Amino acid sequence: MESHLPKKGIFTASVLQNRKLGDKFYRITIELENKAKNVFSAAVPGQFVEIDVSRLALPPENHVPAQYADASQRNVILRRPFSFADIMVSDTSVVAEILYCVLGPATLRMKTLKTGDIVSLIGPLGNGFSIAEKKKTSILIAGGMGAPPLVHLSGLMKSQCKDMEIVVFVGAKSVSDLAFFDLKVDKLIKTKVSLGEFDKHKIKTHISTDDGSAGSKGFVTDVLKDWLLKNKPDAKETIMYACGPEAMLLASAALSSEFKIPCQVSLERRMACGTGLCQSCAVKCLNKDDGSTFYKLCCKDGPIFWSDEVVWE
Amino acid sequence: MGIEHKRIDLSINLGKASLKNPLMTASGTCGYVDELDDFLDINQLGGYITKSITIKPRLGNDVPRIVETDSGMLNAIGLANIGVEKFIKEKVPLMERYKTPFFVNIAGQIIDDYVAVADKLSQCIQIAGMELNISCPNVKQGGITFGTDPALVKQITCEVKKVIRDKMLIVKLTPNVTNISTIAKVAVDCGADALSLVNTFTAMVIDIETRKPVLSNRTGGLSGPAIKPIAIYLVNKVYNEVAKPAGIPLIGGGGVRTASDAIEFIIAGATAVTIGTATFANPDGAVKIIEGMKGYCTRHKFSSITSLTGALK
Repeated sequence: MESHLPKKGIFTASVLQNRKLGDKFYRITIELENKAKNVFSAAVPGQFVEIDVSRLALPPENHVPAQYADASQRNVILRRPFSFADIMVSDTSVVAEILYCVLGPATLRMKTLKTGDIVSLIGPLGNGFSIAEKKKTSILIAGGMGAPPLVHLSGLMKSQCKDMEIVVFVGAKSVSDLAFFDLKVDKLIKTKVSLGEFDKHKIKTHISTDDGSAGSKGFVTDVLKDWLLKNKPDAKETIMYACGPEAMLLASAALSSEFKIPCQVSLERRMACGTGLCQSCAVKCLNKDDGSTFYKLCCKDGPIFWSDEVVWE
Repeated sequence: MGIEHKRIDLSINLGKASLKNPLMTASGTCGYVDELDDFLDINQLGGYITKSITIKPRLGNDVPRIVETDSGMLNAIGLANIGVEKFIKEKVPLMERYKTPFFVNIAGQIIDDYVAVADKLSQCIQIAGMELNISCPNVKQGGITFGTDPALVKQITCEVKKVIRDKMLIVKLTPNVTNISTIAKVAVDCGADALSLVNTFTAMVIDIETRKPVLSNRTGGLSGPAIKPIAIYLVNKVYNEVAKPAGIPLIGGGGVRTASDAIEFIIAGATAVTIGTATFANPDGAVKIIEGMKGYCTRHKFSSITSLTGALK
């Protein structure tokens, strides 16, 4: 699976746009130049970049949300990993799109990036999802901030696998936690929600929120289970892809083994480097031959794993 | 100007080894052999110190293994490594691709472990020397750190020295002691060809929401810019009290990010300098430091970097 991956490196890119979306999200688009153009045009959904935010300024004090007042006073020395929401390749340019939330001292700095600013990035990193071209049905399961790489994946699948049925399940705590660029919510009929990214590819989406503020009420994996019971997809012709909080991935892994449908999960770990040097992002995996456990690295061997190779804790 | 930039001599003698410049990678931040290949030309480095190698493979600690702090980071990786057998079989031959001298960091839980690893590695012609990581707990004596007990340092250095053949022996000192010079003196008396300092400072970060330590190991080693002034002080102390009188070179490090940081260590008394945590954020940083050192020598009219060692007024 790794032979087709582009060779990673350290590059600079210029910011095209950095905009707030809804209450919690930001979308940044960056243009890759020179050598990075070739490298990033071959990046695979699920791969990621490490962005250097250590040199960025903080927003003015009155623009720092109260809950980050403490965090804003901390220095940042390590890069932060971000997956791609899309990579747009044209004859003249290669543009990567990243979605992020403000969660601490690094992303607080990131939101101050302006058009024309130069950022340093290391990538593309990790293995990325592997598209099962011959399967009939691909099921994508996105939880909260886990959605962006699945948007990227669905776009690529739609263009590469014309006959494949793609079904998307998107869940979040509440409507404002749905990580999308183009969220259409009918306030009167809260179940009538659609996500522009998938709409434009004509991909069917099932939306759910824990509090019922958009779509159906409940966990995304419960909605998926009902769908699996009702639609009974042929397990041999079906594959699942999941990205989201670890509890959601665990539930996806359980559905994978219950319905015998293979599932790729995108994991998240604390990383110092993203390139396999620091060994901090360990993922406990199962040796199927003798039942022993060992560690893989999320940054290098992942972040995409088969759900049945991970030891869920 | 007096001295031309390109005629500055950065080469140094580190005990038995000749290095083309003073910059080395610090153990545990640069992988086994070739991991930095995507980011820099390893041949440009003065020397390369590998991650810790133990007699048996080690899986390492549970996650979280790292946490960022203000201007630093804590790690408790747990010496995850493939073990000496696999290292010799798979990694040591890769060293033949490079002209840079390789030093292998060795670790253990009992003195016999260190001796066994050193004995095996001493038979590899590709290796210039070994660095003893004595910041490990000694399981035979209730987990006391080898490097904090002069009697243990004496025993471990003497025993390893016996099996190391023509290889160079570096002892890496822990700063977590009352008087680092006492330990340094013991190591030198037992035949260490060079000393490296400092290893990380034992530290803890607490999650105040859960009131638990962030790291699964509870404590970890603090590295990064936060420790640099303490490391400079300790290098200068050991230089004055032990290294200079004995004529033994020091490898200084701790929070080195820039050429000025490296120069500061050399002025304090170091012959060579390691870059560690900074490599995580900037894997090509070492090459920039080497260039910057030349610039300093040009400005201050030092035709050779060796005359700068211990030049503190």
